[in-house]
Amino acid sequence: MTERARVVVRIALRNVRRQARRSLLTASAMVLGIALLMFVRALEAGGHVMYVESAVRMGTGHVSLEHPEYAATRDLVDRIPAEYLELATEAISAATTPDELRAVFPRVTVGGLVQSASSSIPASVSGVDPAREAPISFLRESIVEGRFLEPGDRLEAIVGVGVAERLRVEPGSRLVLMAEDIEGEIESQLVLVTGIFRTGIPEVDRGVVQLPLETAREWLALGEDATSLSAVLTSDRRTGEIARDVRARLEREGVEPGAVAVRPWWEAMPDLHAGLQADTVQTYIMLLILLAIVALAVVNSVLMAVLNRTREFGVLRSLGLNRRSVGGMVIVEGSVLALLSGIAGMGLGLAVAFGVFRDGVDISFALGDGELAFAGAIVDPVIQPVLQTGDAIAIFLIVVAIGVLASLYPAWHATRIEPAEAMKTDD
Amino acid sequence: MSSTSGSPSTPSPAVEARGDGSAPPSVRTEDLWKTYGEGETAVHAVQRVSITIERGEFVVLSGPSGSGKTTLVNLIGGLTDPSRGKVWVAGEEVGAMSERARARMRLEHIGFVFQAFNLLPVLSALENAEFPLMLRGVDRDTRRAAVRELFEEIGLGGLEDRRPGALSGGQQQRVAVARAVLGAPALVLADEPTANLDTSASDALLGVMELLNQERHVTFIFCTHDPFVMRRARRIIRLVDGHVERDAEKEPGDLPSWVLEPVGT
Ligand SMILES: Nc1ncnc2c1ncn2[C@@H]1O[C@H](COP(=O)(O)OP(=O)(O)OP(=O)(O)O)[C@@H](O)[C@H]1O
Ligand SMILES: [Mg+2]
Repeated sequence: MTERARVVVRIALRNVRRQARRSLLTASAMVLGIALLMFVRALEAGGHVMYVESAVRMGTGHVSLEHPEYAATRDLVDRIPAEYLELATEAISAATTPDELRAVFPRVTVGGLVQSASSSIPASVSGVDPAREAPISFLRESIVEGRFLEPGDRLEAIVGVGVAERLRVEPGSRLVLMAEDIEGEIESQLVLVTGIFRTGIPEVDRGVVQLPLETAREWLALGEDATSLSAVLTSDRRTGEIARDVRARLEREGVEPGAVAVRPWWEAMPDLHAGLQADTVQTYIMLLILLAIVALAVVNSVLMAVLNRTREFGVLRSLGLNRRSVGGMVIVEGSVLALLSGIAGMGLGLAVAFGVFRDGVDISFALGDGELAFAGAIVDPVIQPVLQTGDAIAIFLIVVAIGVLASLYPAWHATRIEPAEAMKTDD
Repeated sequence: MSSTSGSPSTPSPAVEARGDGSAPPSVRTEDLWKTYGEGETAVHAVQRVSITIERGEFVVLSGPSGSGKTTLVNLIGGLTDPSRGKVWVAGEEVGAMSERARARMRLEHIGFVFQAFNLLPVLSALENAEFPLMLRGVDRDTRRAAVRELFEEIGLGGLEDRRPGALSGGQQQRVAVARAVLGAPALVLADEPTANLDTSASDALLGVMELLNQERHVTFIFCTHDPFVMRRARRIIRLVDGHVERDAEKEPGDLPSWVLEPVGT
């Protein structure tokens, strides 16, 4: 650093200190802005993690394997044969570390009719493996009456509260399930209601029935086949990568993409994905507004500092500082202010998000009944803030950059001052 | 009236740089005008001023309040642009310089003392005084030693670490003069440097300046009403309504009666 630069920086720093009260006011505007940004982002990230988590645990998994046509046709012709299930399970194990794989489970899901003594309704009927799904099953946590399926169950079934109400059944009641088997024949299956769940998602509570996988396979003559295979991971971080890896491994084993489609959750649940993105856009708009406020605070503060010191800039110029150095001095002042505020704001934001609200923020006061569902996912009314390190760094850098940018105009103004005129002003 | 004939033992960089033996005048103006406003309400703060001040002169600009002294000094230092005419400092035309070149000229060749002393409030007295030396890259020990020595001489010893806000008007003024003359710039432009000083403080300051003038051929241009300063000058240029009414050499110690006469007599 040249002597001149050192002098310029020293004067700038002393000015920040001299104008301590003004600096403090600007800084607090920035600090609050940044703190709010950090907090909002942490909550948003927390909310998203929760949505995704609940959605994948409804059965789709982070990575979902299906016949590419099955979602559209719901025809058992478009299923995954047993040998592919085995290859796919191996591919998933190979593509993941034991730590990151929470569960892999096949399902048989068909559209059918559910009939009780009093009435009948259409429903999505799934054969699930209770042993494999128990650790992650969202429905298991949502049981309000009776119990979840257990290994060894044969004719037991669980139904949503809506299903139970409409069919007037309770644990112990009998139901008859009807659906087309692989030959296209309508087959029925008798089951006993053993548990009733309430997820808060209307479509699920009113239209889902689960029974043991083996029972479903026999009922529909599926042998060892299934309609889907899902992998639930411990974190969403590597979902895309793992999906690609599994796809590549299956292709190497000769499984055509036309036979099995490997999809990350955002492809398997496009509605949820779009919903989350819309939410993110909203947050970004709010962030932009906050950043604009921060920028205005800095412009205002630094400009005031310049206008109040017109005479001083005149003196500096007449002593031989050129325009660039004078402008640089103002920018240094703005930047130092922005940097200090940025650090303080970060600290405050993180402290609020992870200190005060460490146990989560209860947003149930802001939600009406039934508003807990979001594009097929579920909101726990208590949101756990999640720190996105990348975001935190980005917010910090952006705010500091704004501080620098916001001092450009005042700096330009300072360079425009004519020394002789400046020294006539009395400030 | 000039000292160009002398052989300067410690030539200032401005002149040294030319190296052709014939140093250009320290300051020259040619038909210089500065007009504020237009038409009926136009004020000619400076008009028709063509003067030449050789290196090493000790000149007083006198004249009634509002006669254009400050404006003329600002024009010479390139702090404001003329409406018409040209200014040369050490042979270089100020109007033709880039902004950076002007800044460098001020830094390397000119010391200013302003009518209001204009110290930087965030710097101590010592830091204010050493500021130009610091910008010129003089090392810390050298410049601090120079400041302390000068401060002793002009009665500021012990006030080095005070901020301007904690100095009296006269003390601030002396710091401002110290800032202007330290490092012996080729030209010192001083606007009312003794306005707030008693005779003994003025005497000390003028003593320092006269020494610089004699030993290092620093050119001094003072704007002043102070008879004490005028007495010690060797040339007095009297401005009235922006133009040169009288420009005369005199012996140091003399105080010609015309400098104090009211305008128009
Ligand atoms: N920015 C300006 N706009 C209009 N008129 C100005 C401006 N600056 C100076 N003047 C006028 O120019 C004239 C000369 O002003 P200047 O400051 O040079 O006088 P001065 O000789 O230094 O006076 P003093 O002894 O009071 O310091 C004055 O009439 C003043 O009113
Ligand atoms: Mg004046």
